[in-house]
Amino acid sequence: MVAALLGAAACGSSDSPSSPADEGSPTKVTVGVIPIVDVAPIYLGKEKGFFSSRGIDLTMESGQGGAAIVPGVLSGQFQFGFSNVTSLMLAQTQGVPIKVVANGVASTGKDGGDFGGVTVKGDSPIQSAKDLAGKKVAVNTLKNIGDTTVRESVRKAGGDPSTISFVEIGFPQMPAALAEGQVDAAWVVEPSLSVIKAQGGRVVAWNYVDAAPDLTVATYFASNKLMQENPDLVKRFTEAMNESLTYASAHADEVRQVLGTYTQIDQKTRDAITLPQWPTEINKASIETLATLGKNDGVFGDKTPDLSQLLP
Amino acid sequence: MTRAVRATPVILGLSGLTGLLLLVELLPYTGVVSADYLPPTHRIAAALGDELAEGAFWAALWDTLLAWAIGLTIAVVAGIVVGIVIGAVPVLRALTASTIEFLRPIPSVALIPLAVLLYGTEIQSTLMLVVYASFWQVLIQVLYGVQDVDPVAEETARSFGFSPWYRVRYVLWPTALPYVMTGIRLAAAVALVLAITAELVIGAPGLGSRIAVAQSSNAVANMYALIAVTGLLGVAINLAARGVERLLLSWHQSVRGEVLI
Repeated sequence: MVAALLGAAACGSSDSPSSPADEGSPTKVTVGVIPIVDVAPIYLGKEKGFFSSRGIDLTMESGQGGAAIVPGVLSGQFQFGFSNVTSLMLAQTQGVPIKVVANGVASTGKDGGDFGGVTVKGDSPIQSAKDLAGKKVAVNTLKNIGDTTVRESVRKAGGDPSTISFVEIGFPQMPAALAEGQVDAAWVVEPSLSVIKAQGGRVVAWNYVDAAPDLTVATYFASNKLMQENPDLVKRFTEAMNESLTYASAHADEVRQVLGTYTQIDQKTRDAITLPQWPTEINKASIETLATLGKNDGVFGDKTPDLSQLLP
Repeated sequence: MTRAVRATPVILGLSGLTGLLLLVELLPYTGVVSADYLPPTHRIAAALGDELAEGAFWAALWDTLLAWAIGLTIAVVAGIVVGIVIGAVPVLRALTASTIEFLRPIPSVALIPLAVLLYGTEIQSTLMLVVYASFWQVLIQVLYGVQDVDPVAEETARSFGFSPWYRVRYVLWPTALPYVMTGIRLAAAVALVLAITAELVIGAPGLGSRIAVAQSSNAVANMYALIAVTGLLGVAINLAARGVERLLLSWHQSVRGEVLI
């Protein structure tokens, strides 16, 4: 499958608009993102002119669930993409030539106040992560960052993670699935987390927090081809991205405002959601932890991610 | 034809629609579904009002209609040309029959990974799926239409020494046209379904991706409002296709017969 993807990607790379900019005319850059809270800094950074001041004419294209983002970056439709770290490590073990260029989003590291967690109905008998053993838990994608970190939560609480049955349900459908009792628990991120809390749901495990301190959840990446052909553009993008991340970290109110421009999250929920952290530093130790978790859970088959290839 | 005869189906249709709106309004109060996941009609209508006031909504509608129109045009032209060429040459028909039957049932959405690789989230991805799905609708109808040509008329045209172009224009085309129109009507509906699906799944610009964003934002009422818009769009496209059909086939028995009743 991946070989076929790569083969086809090579054919589609003819008209990438990533040629170096002439003096004065900005480089057109398209970034593949998922229209969720995590990518607020790039929208805010565009608004603040952090990209245009570096000669980058930025466009965001949103792919559903990220399925289109890695192939889009490979084929040159996108110069950069946003994806969670486990997906990127999976791609790396399959020999997909990509490299991380900037940090994306990180867990708040606060037990009790993160932007993602495992939720149950208010009247559920499940009281802690340990009780999740033997239960039906919803994650947005099987064999990815959700189920490996949830297993770690259960393991740390003294439960047997091997008895959990994970089912795949999209984040937006999870509040309904939980309310209807189709699943015993659901791992969700904002804004679904706030929706479930507003309906009386409880969080029984903060899986990002349990997996590693200040876990790096997702990053921005580029193809190795772009890294070689236009290192200057990559450098300018990384700088602009870092400035955006720093600005977003310091201006929570503006982040909540900018959310209204590219999502349809209503004002009330926007004010209520827990924002993630946007550090510029990639937490390598936490990514190594994710790699180990994923490897033990068989996410990468019999391979081990080579982080020296993936991380800058 | 009197006004009353024509008005009855319209009235029946409208009362059916009113019934549906009423049902959606009442369902959340019965407890069968939660109002959080199926808001009552008045909340969906209010969300629709909000959508109509947004520039981004009109841009999305335009993107969808553009993808639909371009995709349908390509599929129709290709379907007619290929259909007539294959249909008129028996050897070609026999040669391609199995291939067509093999390719036709492949669901267009199965091509999404390929579309994403070739065109990313651009409009071309949507076009690829739309063209693939609607092409077969036209092609198959054209093939049936060509088969339906009266052999006596065809032989007569031959014996009068009509050129191939004249035979297509004056014998084959009038016979095939009702079939072609049916194909176009089917293709128009399929093209809309595929355009929305592609946008929804791939994230190409349009109503579909707007539905996806509303969904991931838990803006449930807005999501249903947008879905209602796609439904209305489907009705409008079907009505327009029927109108065109009636206009172009006004000479044909099938349409004349309908009017006489």
